[in-house]
Amino acid sequence: MQRWCWLMHIVLKSLVYRQGRSLLLLGVLAMAASLVTSLGIVSSAMGLRVAEEVRKYGANLVVLPAAARLEVGSGGLDFGTVAEPAYLSQEELLRVVDREGIRDCSLHLRGHLSAGGQELPAEGVDFTTIRRLYPWWQLRGGWPDADEAVIGIDLAARLKLKAGDRIRAVGTAGAGEYRVAGVVSTGGEEDKLLFIPLARMQETLGVGSSVSQARLLAQTGGVTLEQRAAWLQERLPGSVVREVRQVARTSEGLLRKVQLLMALVTSVVLIATASSVASTMSMTVLERGKEIGLLKAMGATRLGVLLLFCGESIVLGLMGGGAGYLLGSGIARFVMQTVFAVSAGIDLRFAGLSFAVSLGLALLGSAGPMMSVFRLDPVRSLRGE
Amino acid sequence: MISALKLMPVLLAWSGIAAALVRHVSGRRSVLAISCASGFIGGVAGGNLLLTLSKGEIVSSTVKSLTGTCFLCLWVVALAAFYRVTGSGGQGAPGEREKPYAFTVSCSALLAGLLAGAICVCRLAPQGGAPLLSLFVLGTAGVLLAVAAIGIEQYVPADITVTGEALLALVVSLLLFASSFTLQLDLFSPLSMKVMKFVHDFVHQFFESMLVPDHLFFRSDAWEYIGYLFGSGVGFWGGLLIWFAPVVLICAAIRLERLPTVSHIRQGAQRRKLLAAFIRERNCRLIVPCFAMLIMAAAVYNSLFPSVEYWDPKPVAVTMNDSGEIVIPKKGEIDLEDGKLHKYLLKQGGREARFMILSAPDGRLTVTLDACAICKPEGYGQAEGAVICYYCKTLIPLETMGRPGGCNPVPVPFKVGADGVSLDAMTILDRWSETVTTTSRIKGGGK
Amino acid sequence: MNDKSEGRGKVTDIIETRGLTRSYGEICALKPLDLLVPEGEWLSVMGHSGSGKSTLLNLLGGLDRPSGGSLWLGGEDLMALSQDGLARFRREFVGIIFQQHHLVPYLTALENVMMAQYFHSVPDEAEACSALERVGLGKRLKNRPGELSGGEQQRVCIARAIINSPRLLLGDEPTGNLDHANTRMIMELLKDLREEERFTIMLVTHNREVAAWGDRIICLDDGVLVREERTGR
Repeated sequence: MQRWCWLMHIVLKSLVYRQGRSLLLLGVLAMAASLVTSLGIVSSAMGLRVAEEVRKYGANLVVLPAAARLEVGSGGLDFGTVAEPAYLSQEELLRVVDREGIRDCSLHLRGHLSAGGQELPAEGVDFTTIRRLYPWWQLRGGWPDADEAVIGIDLAARLKLKAGDRIRAVGTAGAGEYRVAGVVSTGGEEDKLLFIPLARMQETLGVGSSVSQARLLAQTGGVTLEQRAAWLQERLPGSVVREVRQVARTSEGLLRKVQLLMALVTSVVLIATASSVASTMSMTVLERGKEIGLLKAMGATRLGVLLLFCGESIVLGLMGGGAGYLLGSGIARFVMQTVFAVSAGIDLRFAGLSFAVSLGLALLGSAGPMMSVFRLDPVRSLRGE
Repeated sequence: MISALKLMPVLLAWSGIAAALVRHVSGRRSVLAISCASGFIGGVAGGNLLLTLSKGEIVSSTVKSLTGTCFLCLWVVALAAFYRVTGSGGQGAPGEREKPYAFTVSCSALLAGLLAGAICVCRLAPQGGAPLLSLFVLGTAGVLLAVAAIGIEQYVPADITVTGEALLALVVSLLLFASSFTLQLDLFSPLSMKVMKFVHDFVHQFFESMLVPDHLFFRSDAWEYIGYLFGSGVGFWGGLLIWFAPVVLICAAIRLERLPTVSHIRQGAQRRKLLAAFIRERNCRLIVPCFAMLIMAAAVYNSLFPSVEYWDPKPVAVTMNDSGEIVIPKKGEIDLEDGKLHKYLLKQGGREARFMILSAPDGRLTVTLDACAICKPEGYGQAEGAVICYYCKTLIPLETMGRPGGCNPVPVPFKVGADGVSLDAMTILDRWSETVTTTSRIKGGGK
Repeated sequence: MNDKSEGRGKVTDIIETRGLTRSYGEICALKPLDLLVPEGEWLSVMGHSGSGKSTLLNLLGGLDRPSGGSLWLGGEDLMALSQDGLARFRREFVGIIFQQHHLVPYLTALENVMMAQYFHSVPDEAEACSALERVGLGKRLKNRPGELSGGEQQRVCIARAIINSPRLLLGDEPTGNLDHANTRMIMELLKDLREEERFTIMLVTHNREVAAWGDRIICLDDGVLVREERTGR
């Protein structure tokens, strides 16, 4: 063991002797390691964060009956459905959704009711889930209590209703009277609909416990949305599960693009660092030619001299890794604070990565110079050539 | 074959034992080969015989106790070696080492073979008798590997020497490694459990005998630290300490041995050369114990992350019907009588409870809570022939399911009707809250 | 050219070369040389620069490989040794001193000597201390080479060269950079050490006075041994 102690002693003395050079290498390695660490931490945190942000945009999956035809129309023109309405079983849906661990599921039942002699499209919904899944609903008035309804702004204008009025809607199997709690305006198809509680809609239409579609907010941690959709579809025969493409896809795609960009930047920096280390080390080897020749003349084996230089690289690599991890964590914390307004915890996984990167760069960069150390001819170097 | 893959590491461990024995004796290969081979075959045959006669419990406990005894022997030897080197001017220079008797080594080879064979058989078929063909294949494989190892050993560089203590350390560590692959034979989990229970009881008694009332003298964060003593962490770290201590002591004993004197040599360079040779030889002697330490670490890893997949289905949500009962049909989507664990989740008015239904091997249905009366309710999983509590890693044989006590899950009264199993929802909820509140208090507080 | 009569049987020859040559491409630095050096002799090699004396020293020190001929040192055939074998030979059998005092600049005098010990076997501080005291540097142990004078540095080199008890000490113009007083001191030191340790010395020099310290002087010119004389010491 004494030999190892001595080797360490010599390595440290050698590094301290060339302070400037050592600090430069240390700085370069620490910078590379800190970049990798900070980008890694930010990237992994971003993934979680974006998933959270996506939640704010509402449902990302929609479950339709397989037999349902597309709503014929384009944009604002709705020509209505072209076939018999098809339904999904509410219990089946809820069971599967619960088993998959999807917590946000809003059920909708579409149909036509008549009020005041006019036909109006109506939808039965559960208002609590609506509040969660549809945060962009602007309600003039208030959210409905039990047995109250919400009416779309266009429909309200047509029927000349406002919040607080009462409306009587008649369906094929029943009728109901509701107080209009609020008027909703979203700029979408909700503006033309009358929303009443789901159970009442089911009674009024006489369809039992069925729904015409369900909108789900599924977490995508670990699996892509497509896989989720495929799984759900397997478990719900007779249905079609589609992604709500608007935001989910784009945000996932965007995240992936940003991560790719960060990875490219990181690899460029790593290559630059490796070449910088290589050039510094080869210059050092050139300078120390006499020293190496002397060691060989003293009777050191080629491996012995190599060990000395490798020791220096390893020590620099380890120190660079440690410094890089601390620096990188600090940078990541700062970035997350300012950009995401989130405080990051200490992530020790990236310590290993930081050390690996720093050591790898140090050893890789010195690989070339090591070869020349190995092959150095003591006679020529001692003579001063 | 899958069983071949399962047995590969165990058989490799066995060949390592054979090679180490040969290296220690350095010669007498044929004698050793015979004793190894006979030991292994004896182990395989005897193990299988016992397995078919009894139900598997006896064999695993016998093997476990034998391996445990070996581990204790290792402890004694390690302490003795350490004392010999550090205490009262110990010398024990390598030159004074006695030549190991071939007899003792062959006896140990026999014993090791017996144990290794039994462990292999348990790994192959923990429940009961394996087909004769596979036993035969296993026996021949073991014998062939041992002989091959003894043959290959001469190509291992001669610098790596094996002292007596190092041999014992390596053999015991390889045996522990081999047994860590089988759930029933694993020693680390019971060890950490015992440590945890010991510490738990000790601190409990300590506080009781000191008549310390709750919260009066200590601040609440002190209780948090005291609470750590009750967690499973103390069992893990304590077990780890006990697990590694003997090998570490042996390594230390070798390292701290005083080198032979060289002061009688006049010339400095010669002196130093001799010294360097001694140091190198000592370092070579350290290789085997360090390797044994790695093997022990591998055994711990196997114990913590077994390759066994626990059958743990996601709890199915159930609700109670109007009469406050839960009815679960026996057949249908879920077949209650398929011998597998089925879990259910009951949510009612803000309270929830998890329970499970299992059909025991003797045909009766058992309904229990997904928690036991002692540990934190982390749930259960099912592995080959037993149900395991995730918190304390205790194996509960399927036959004892439904009976209360110990780490068994808390049983729940139920009625088996024509259409299925019916349970009273309120009983379940009440019993769940009872169990959970008592066990959750394990983490904090002294009572 | 060579005295074969003294070679066999009577005194063991520590150096024995037959037809030793070294060429660099087309330039032949050392023409075929036969040399016998008995153990314990102090041999001085003289010649102008380019005469091949440094080449001969490098070959004998195992730093260079001959292009032809045979080379036996201490009964060992140097041609048959591998690179690592030559390294072992260098550290156990030979000690080399150079004209430019090659010392590791960031280590103290003591550590420089211990460096040679490290490559040989294990570093031993006490032994290194006593070696430095023997050469008269007991008070300057912890000084770096930059803080030592030329003579002191050379003494450190000598201490480092003999720390592993070599049987052959080679010197390539060790006093070339030193003034008269220091030269004398170094030569006295070498003489004392040789009497104590009984190693063979081979010094390469162009200085007549330095060469006269030896038992035998051989002169090389253009790679050929031209003259040989005994000094009568």
